[in-house]
Amino acid sequence: MAGLSLKYIRKSYGDVRAVENVSLDFTDGGLTALLGPSGCGKTTLLRMIAGLEDPSAGSISLGGRDITRLPAHKRKFGMVFQSFALFPHLNVSDNVSYALTIAGTPRGQAAARARELLDLVQLSAFAERRIGELSGGQRQRVAIARALAQEPDVFLLDEPMSALDAKLREDMQVELRQLQQRLGITTIVVTHDQHEAMTMADSIVVMSQGRVEQMGTPQAIYHHPENAFVADFIGKANFFDGVTEGGNVRIGQHLLQVTPPANFIDGSPVRMAVRPEKAMLAGADDINRLPAKVTFVRDVGPVQDIHLDTPIGRMIVSDSESGQPLRIGDALQVTLPADAIHVFPRLSDQAAA
Amino acid sequence: MTAVDSPKANLSAETPPTRSPWGTWALALVIGFLCVTPFVLVIVISFGQKIEGAGWAWDFTFANYQRFFVGALWPEEVTLLHLQRLYYALYYAVIASVLAVLTAFPFTYLLTRQSRRAQSIWLVFILASLSLSEVFIVMGWDVLLSNRSGLPMLFEVSGATDWLKETGWFEVLREWGLANPRNVKFKTSEFATILTMSYLVWPYAVILLYPALSRLDPSLTEAARTMGAGPARVMTSVILPTVKLPLIGATLLLFVFLLGSYVTVVVFAEPAKQTTAVAVYESVRGSTLDAPFGAAQAVILLVTAAAFLALAQYLTKRSEAR
Repeated sequence: MAGLSLKYIRKSYGDVRAVENVSLDFTDGGLTALLGPSGCGKTTLLRMIAGLEDPSAGSISLGGRDITRLPAHKRKFGMVFQSFALFPHLNVSDNVSYALTIAGTPRGQAAARARELLDLVQLSAFAERRIGELSGGQRQRVAIARALAQEPDVFLLDEPMSALDAKLREDMQVELRQLQQRLGITTIVVTHDQHEAMTMADSIVVMSQGRVEQMGTPQAIYHHPENAFVADFIGKANFFDGVTEGGNVRIGQHLLQVTPPANFIDGSPVRMAVRPEKAMLAGADDINRLPAKVTFVRDVGPVQDIHLDTPIGRMIVSDSESGQPLRIGDALQVTLPADAIHVFPRLSDQAAA
Repeated sequence: MTAVDSPKANLSAETPPTRSPWGTWALALVIGFLCVTPFVLVIVISFGQKIEGAGWAWDFTFANYQRFFVGALWPEEVTLLHLQRLYYALYYAVIASVLAVLTAFPFTYLLTRQSRRAQSIWLVFILASLSLSEVFIVMGWDVLLSNRSGLPMLFEVSGATDWLKETGWFEVLREWGLANPRNVKFKTSEFATILTMSYLVWPYAVILLYPALSRLDPSLTEAARTMGAGPARVMTSVILPTVKLPLIGATLLLFVFLLGSYVTVVVFAEPAKQTTAVAVYESVRGSTLDAPFGAAQAVILLVTAAAFLALAQYLTKRSEAR
């Protein structure tokens, strides 16, 4: 059975294009994260999948069936809202069994299912509590149990961790992921937190300005960003602007070697990215070696972030091995491994990094 | 002018280094006097005695209350006229307040779903409509519903009356007291009384419901939709239960307010279906000039309103503790 699939989805509010030509196929039983800065259209996309907004153009299908115009209450995709949206007039158990009550399930059966689900999220002891008596973390568990009650084909979560404090957030990320894997339910999580996306997702869809920038596994997105936006948004990166020359990149007097060679016509303006942990202070190679001067050292225990001034621009190097004591003003050599350099086309509106 | 003078006196009393309590006391006394005295006076007079042709005298008799419940000639004869007037006061007020809240609710709900700008314009308009006095509104409806120049005339001229006669609806309207042998008539009738009362308090209903409905989190209704609830189910299972208390509160407030309606009842209610509020005024100022009996009726009206409020409070508390 083909899973959930979006084709050329577009959403505009007046002149504002919130989502622009998005086509995605979601893996059955997998967890996909829609990741991007606020205002990138990820929540709008999720709401269109849920049926809470109508796309201006394009189609949504589930298992080969077109559901673009199907209203939300007929789709029954379980959804967890950012505010959790628990019903204040119902207790925990009645909140969880709401979907079953609506569907006309006998009371006893609905209550039994609610108990089962509350067991699943470890809240059995709270079944009779009022919503006002729960903590943020407990509310989130109730919201998750409630969304799963109708055994939805697709499970949607809109920034589910944003109302939790940092410590709880990390625990819940792992817990939610384990729950999702146990149930094997197709899940889509909207988040602006790349750490959260990398922790939970089988695949990540990076979005910006209503467009999909890249879709892939967390590893692929981190190690092989397809454009400067992804390289910048996922993890940290040092950026340098230059032009191509025989597959390599020239920045001022320095010609940096790239493997595999960058596929550009000579003289194309490009932006080059290097992850801080890929640059090396004590490299054995002679290629891509640059003189550098230490301008700042940030020592956070396991890793040192060393800020450097080099002839091609400023950069940050994360060093976890050498452990050599460095001071501001020290002169040293930095090596940028040829296979750690990512080259992207430089658009005219991008300012130099 | 004491009420205006005393706050000033109070302020000036605060300026010296040693603060004198006299200003505060004086203010409390004035406020107490203004609030409590008329109230106490009405209660006291309700136990007084009417003197034929010479006003009334202080006394302590339950005769006025007895007259209200069973009539002046009790035990030889029982008259329920005054109880009947209280019944009509309750009847009009209950239906009109429920009607106003029921119709204001969907309007206010849709209003809170509009843009901020549209909401402000509507709210300003509704607030402005509160400045219309009861007399003004009643006059407008009086013209609109009058037999010679209002809607009945329009019915006649447009042929609607003939149509009603042909289809048999005219007989139904006659049974409801909304038609005379020749044409439809709305004055005087329960219909006109209740309609005008609802109209009077409708802006208040919107203003009372607005805060609760605008605070309603839209994600609550969206959550219900994703769980399979259609629009009607969302209304009955999420929106109404969430705003149940404000709905009851608004209805009660309007009910108590309408219990004392005067102009509307005088103009639109049939003579046999007048209310206690009208009777109070007639006793005190009208041809009978019986201040003690008027006071007794006023006290009974007040106690009735208080009893309804207490009952509502009890019912809400019980449903909360469920």
